[in-house]
Amino acid sequence: MEFKSKTFVYLMLLPVMSVVAFIVIYPTIGGIILSFRDYSIYSFGNVRWVGFDKYTEIFTDSTFLGVLKNTLIWIIGSVTFQFLLGFILALLMREPFKGRGIFTGFVFYPWAVSGFAIGLIWSWLLNGQFGIVNDLLLKLGMIKSGINFLSSPNMAMFSVILVNIWYGIPFFAIMILAALQSIPNSLYEAASIDGAGYFTKLFKITIPYIRPTLVSTILLRIIWVMNFPDIIYGMTRGGPGGSTEILSVRMINTVFYESDYSKAAAYGVIMVSILLAYTVMYLRLTSSKEVRL
Amino acid sequence: MKKRRYKVIRFILLSIFLLIAVFPLYWIVLTSFKPTNEVYSFPIRYWTSHPTLYGYKKLFEFVNFGRYFINSSIVSLTASLFSTTFAMLAGYVLSRSNFKGKTFSILFLFFAQMLPSYLIMVPQYEMFSKLKLINHLISIMIIYTGLGASFSTIMARAFFVRIPKDMEEAALIDGCTRLLALFKVVIPLMLPGLAAILSFSFVNNWNELFTAVLFLNTSNKYTVPVGLYSIISKAGVQWNILAAGIVIALAPTIAVFSVAQKYIIAGLTQGSIKG
Repeated sequence: MEFKSKTFVYLMLLPVMSVVAFIVIYPTIGGIILSFRDYSIYSFGNVRWVGFDKYTEIFTDSTFLGVLKNTLIWIIGSVTFQFLLGFILALLMREPFKGRGIFTGFVFYPWAVSGFAIGLIWSWLLNGQFGIVNDLLLKLGMIKSGINFLSSPNMAMFSVILVNIWYGIPFFAIMILAALQSIPNSLYEAASIDGAGYFTKLFKITIPYIRPTLVSTILLRIIWVMNFPDIIYGMTRGGPGGSTEILSVRMINTVFYESDYSKAAAYGVIMVSILLAYTVMYLRLTSSKEVRL
Repeated sequence: MKKRRYKVIRFILLSIFLLIAVFPLYWIVLTSFKPTNEVYSFPIRYWTSHPTLYGYKKLFEFVNFGRYFINSSIVSLTASLFSTTFAMLAGYVLSRSNFKGKTFSILFLFFAQMLPSYLIMVPQYEMFSKLKLINHLISIMIIYTGLGASFSTIMARAFFVRIPKDMEEAALIDGCTRLLALFKVVIPLMLPGLAAILSFSFVNNWNELFTAVLFLNTSNKYTVPVGLYSIISKAGVQWNILAAGIVIALAPTIAVFSVAQKYIIAGLTQGSIKG
């Protein structure tokens, strides 16, 4: 099926390659350059070279360590429970039942809703005064007075992670469900003859068989969640008192509130570096058999 | 007996999952139809006996939400059509040919699609301000096309690889040109894949917030997410009005999802990477 003309091949690739180069690659390089200059709302007429100043500013900022800590908590808390609950959901959905197609639609619709809108919706559900979640918990007698889900610095991170878990469960469920359906039934039949129970089958057959999918889904989700500020932006924008400020939210706040574009670019460079290192590691770890490009 | 017990437990657990998934949507739709005094009153009502369009009316009166909706539609549709078309062409040759630079091209696209849009919005802003295109819809249209193209190409290639080559070969022997074979023979077989790619990019474009907030700064240029963002930035917004805005923001993408659900799920699980 080789093409007669190589020119044709390159012509077909040209639109994608040029638009990606212009919109993604060129600005990525531009961002590196920008991070060594001083381009902010206060210095439009006078953009100087400042070397590593912006990076020094970031790393010596007393709140930076807190932001890294928040990012780590956000990733670990979200991905762990997205995965566990998504796995359970996939196992439950595995055998066909009446209405499974419609059920999938109703469970999976949040995929189509923006993270920002999800954040807004949940900030209303978790509203300290008129929120439905507090109302339900009070009615069920699980709490005695309303919880300040979003206005208390101690609760805010817990709340945004909770919402992110809610948002991510269906994604994991769908990926794992597809993998589950690729396991040949004969494996289970053989195990049943040997008298294996549900959990023996789960740990001896199911999990080993779909391990590659589990590993690659989790690895990709980690980096995706790290770069996902939308829900937090709909709920707290990093507040109160910086308690939900993760790296990506900090970067956006630097653009929107500080209007320090060079510092934001420096944050961008730091995050792209992490992304790049992570991608290389990911491709090494899952190379050849697990992830086909 | 054991089987029956399992089925009961499964039914209960699945119902819990369903309830938790759907309830927030129910609650925001309900809030959007509540009169203001019911939104802020105790005890909290789980149903309204006085449904009203007040929230929606205010939304279109006070903020220019109709304009935002039109802007979002133009931007999202144009950008997804362009990126999907580009992706079809590139995905096709990437699936059928072994040429110099193929691995590089794929890695290039793989990396590009991993970059979240907001990470590069500042240099993009600098770039487009040199072109005097800040606060123009055309700028975010171009940006969304570029952001979507890489992922769409990877997805298109994954779909093309699954299409058997025999029919094209027959068409080529019959004297079809390569491009004609692509459009007459391969693309009709690709329709489910095409639906998935188009839905993906439409949803992503419709929902994009941060770049749009940075680029669009007068109300007549806002997209729907920017509109929502500007409403919550105003103090003392009523939740029934905001809820109406959210419902309008999510209606088109949920409609796309419900039509193309099958293909979207296939696209997600077959060789694509992004959530």
